[in-house]
Amino acid sequence: MSGPLTDLVVVEFSDQLGQLAGKLLADMGADVIKVEPPHGSAARKVGPFASAETGPERSLNFWYHNTNKRSFVADLDDPDSLAEVQALCARANLIIEDRAPGALAAYGLDYEALSASNGGLVYCSITPFGQTGPWANWKVNDLVALALGGPMMMNGYDIATYPDAPPVHGIGDQAFNTACHFAVHGIMAAVLYRDRTGKGQHIDCAMHEALSCTVEVGMPYWLYMRQDVRRQTGRHAAAVVTEKWTYTAADGRDVLVFGVGRNNSQWNSLKQWLQAAGFGHHLDEERFSDPLARQPARGTEEAKEIMATVSAFIGESSSEDVYRGAQERGLPWGVVLAPEEVIADPHWHDRGFYVQLPEETLTKPVLMPGAPYQFSATPWELRRRAPRLGEHTEEIRATLR
Amino acid sequence: MNDMPLDGIRVCDLTWIIAGPVCTRVLADFGAEVIRVEHEQALDSIRMGRPLVGETPTGNNSGFFNYISRNKKSIALNARHPDGHDVLRRLIAASDVVVENFSASVMDSWGLGYDQLREINPGIIYCSVSGFGHSGRDKEFTTWGPTAQALSGLTYMSGVPGMPSAGWGYSFMDHTAGYYAANAVMMALHHRNRTGEGQWIDMSQVEAGIVLTGPAVLDAQVNGTSWRADPGLPPGNHAWEPKVAPHNAYRAPGEDRWLAIAATNDAEWTALASIVEPHLESDPRFASNESRLEHELALDEAIGAWVAEHDAYDAMELLQGAGVPAGMCQTAGDRFERDPQLKSRDWWHVLPHPELGDCDYDGIVPKLSLAPGQMRKSSPTFGEDTADVMRDVVGMTDEEFFSLTELGVFM
Repeated sequence: MSGPLTDLVVVEFSDQLGQLAGKLLADMGADVIKVEPPHGSAARKVGPFASAETGPERSLNFWYHNTNKRSFVADLDDPDSLAEVQALCARANLIIEDRAPGALAAYGLDYEALSASNGGLVYCSITPFGQTGPWANWKVNDLVALALGGPMMMNGYDIATYPDAPPVHGIGDQAFNTACHFAVHGIMAAVLYRDRTGKGQHIDCAMHEALSCTVEVGMPYWLYMRQDVRRQTGRHAAAVVTEKWTYTAADGRDVLVFGVGRNNSQWNSLKQWLQAAGFGHHLDEERFSDPLARQPARGTEEAKEIMATVSAFIGESSSEDVYRGAQERGLPWGVVLAPEEVIADPHWHDRGFYVQLPEETLTKPVLMPGAPYQFSATPWELRRRAPRLGEHTEEIRATLR
Repeated sequence: MNDMPLDGIRVCDLTWIIAGPVCTRVLADFGAEVIRVEHEQALDSIRMGRPLVGETPTGNNSGFFNYISRNKKSIALNARHPDGHDVLRRLIAASDVVVENFSASVMDSWGLGYDQLREINPGIIYCSVSGFGHSGRDKEFTTWGPTAQALSGLTYMSGVPGMPSAGWGYSFMDHTAGYYAANAVMMALHHRNRTGEGQWIDMSQVEAGIVLTGPAVLDAQVNGTSWRADPGLPPGNHAWEPKVAPHNAYRAPGEDRWLAIAATNDAEWTALASIVEPHLESDPRFASNESRLEHELALDEAIGAWVAEHDAYDAMELLQGAGVPAGMCQTAGDRFERDPQLKSRDWWHVLPHPELGDCDYDGIVPKLSLAPGQMRKSSPTFGEDTADVMRDVVGMTDEEFFSLTELGVFM
């Protein structure tokens, strides 16, 4: 094992909401033991499934979020089984749970009970709204969490073009993911505190708060201007209507045009590129040389004309050519890729980003995203695939005797 | 004041724009001494960024800068001046962590790549956050948040079928790359506590975005699913996975008011139906999740008609009271002015700022019971802490400080 967290012994009581937090620790070397009920974690029922088979061992969502973990099956309502789980927790130095507030207290598995004889224990509770407050027991899924937390109200479409369009749910469990990113902030901060003092503590991680502060200028516009930003098609929500950012290329893919040159050297380079392709000879006029007038967010006539030219150019070009041509000129443009298309870019393979999933039931090699960060001394490592239900119950039980 | 988890950790903060400063905001919130190294000839453009208080930018009146740089210090330092470069090396020698989010070749061009940083300070933890990472054929390419969202697949995954991509209406990946970087730094600090060993963390903002698409990547790899080819993908506000219905945002009375509602199991559906229209409960089209998915449009119509006649907050309370996941699409104003949950958890704070007056802030997530993060101060004005840091951290005499000031090192 090579990660920075090889001394962490984690017991995880998590389904869909909290499972990424455990993965982030397990992938960096922690021994994460997932305690599952006899019928399996609810996350095993979440698709997509391998080959449309919906059994507990076929959830791709579960496969992805439970790499490097071990599975221990326990029936908390059975006193002998519960005693095993309590013994497991007594030897752990970190607990992660995403149950309703107070749910684990009924089993003596809450922070107060477990820390009584394990003073260094770090115990992280991940919930939709936190352990306290009028909404503490409200129900959410990813959609409802993103609605209440604020991100959803910022994603969507221009009101002028699409007056009936709703705010749009950003797909991929991003509310749960964001909650887990913050949970790991708290966990690592508490682990560092324990390194220094020997003391553990309880962490109350509320997804609602994590989302509410993950909306970029959305919050400061209210805090300073008492103004709400309005969503716009495929670009930042803003207090004013801004120029479009996405333009469709000849191959049907959208190109993200992020700025047209913050300085004149980038601008001239872009202009020459457009003109060499037969577009935008009028852009030599003096009025286009002011960087502020060119900013798409400013709503000037110059910005409109530039974007119209760029749009015509992109419409007759391939998205890949535009992307690479712009980047080679220092412009941070992109292509709006579908998730299955990203893997084709050789750059990520140069970096060894994708890893092969060691799943023995697959008949062909399958790649999945690997390290979110490359550590020079203690790297991310895929040691094992997600566990079968109860795969490690016996080996873990043997260590409890 | 109680102690904080990162007390005693000093961060030499070379970050700018958003992704890097989000990382150091997390570290600062939990108690690290974060020292922003700034130079007026290469001013962080967020210092001039909207929302501004007042008509013209001063470098100290950006509400957004204040929001993401609370709890930090700032020094003015011309690191391109040979004496300034030397001061920077002395600051690095006195730091535990260096964080930067320049393009891939910048630190090397300054003679401050990881090998040189390690010579200055063998235990240093060096975290670089760039668009494409510091290796690979396109490492010189650059990103802002929206670029990373487009290239990772996240933008495409958000949208209504038959309409353009909606994407994310803000730089979700600037936040999220910053969150991953902060977690990485703290993990590396834990390893250093155990072994004394520092290291280099090379983070790509796009890779962090791809990490957030894992199940879709596996779906494509295992099942051949193509979001480009499948007319039902992206699914708009209908559920991708798990596939449940109803699952949508419904328009409520008032200007741009929307209520998100989902029933993730039969019990939630029964509770929802009994409130919306009791005969729906016995309608065979909606008897099971499978049949509800099949008749999703009819379902949306029935629920939409009910929501259209109810105040969204009242409807939300009613549904949640019956155990149905329902939530307003809240704006920032809704959360600040109305949200009783955030209020009850003391989420909002006020701190003074020398140019902006008393400023509102949101809080620190998550809450630690023994040594929580603390709101200590507003963002630093440009160079506010230069003299203190030179004396107390770099160990400079007053005499040396004055002579370097005259040479134009601190500007």
